[in-house]
Amino acid sequence: MIEHEDIEQRLARLSGATDALRPSAGFSARVMLAIDSEGAPSFLEAAWFSARRLVPVAAIAAALAVVWAVQVDNSVDDELATSYAAVELE
Amino acid sequence: MDILEKAVDRVLSGDRSAFQQIVDATSQRLVRLGARIMGNQADAEDVVQEAYVKAYRALTAGEFDRRSSTNTWLYRIVVNGAIDAKRSRKRRAEASDEQVDPGWDGAARAEARVALSELDDWLAALPPEQRVALVLQSMEGLNNAEIAHIMGVSEGAVEQRLVRARAALRQKREQS
Repeated sequence: MIEHEDIEQRLARLSGATDALRPSAGFSARVMLAIDSEGAPSFLEAAWFSARRLVPVAAIAAALAVVWAVQVDNSVDDELATSYAAVELE
Repeated sequence: MDILEKAVDRVLSGDRSAFQQIVDATSQRLVRLGARIMGNQADAEDVVQEAYVKAYRALTAGEFDRRSSTNTWLYRIVVNGAIDAKRSRKRRAEASDEQVDPGWDGAARAEARVALSELDDWLAALPPEQRVALVLQSMEGLNNAEIAHIMGVSEGAVEQRLVRARAALRQKREQS
């Protein structure tokens, strides 16, 4: 510690003195090795990971399909009712 | 979108090798942060390596919601890891940094080692949370809102930690 140095000055000096810190040689390779040792995901894990991003789209598509099916069902009912009425009139 | 965010996209789409780009783009800053918190480079590298493994696991599990930037997210993982390590681990022997081959300029390395050692002795009495808040503000140049986001606490809590840390350092100085 330098004489008469206050807290902020000391922090600033130590910050400057440690600014040049960098990882040791081969650090990046060691990290990738550690990640590789985690093991590659299995086929099922990879398939689920890719597929689950489509879950919201699939949910919306399913909801739209239900709405469409209900509408078609109603229009078929209307048409059948109309034709029964026509038969009755005849 | 910057290189880091693009690399995250590639990892998310299953490209494992893109994680190397994330490591290359962030390791200098993260190891420096880790060293300032842990007080030596060897422990810092352990903490940062663990942080990368956790980050990779979270990315591939789809747990990174991208509400914060990749940089901030990695900062948070390193800070949490360093706080845990500070609580649970005894300080390594002084010799541990001798075994690290820094691969950079000898004079700068020597100066940084001396400075790290001085920093570690000076801040040793502070609880890890106070030390982290002080390092993030005064050495990493972050504001209180950023520190609060990284540490997962309110800005008021950050302010309180900073005030207490400075008070403790002032008291230590007066006693010596």
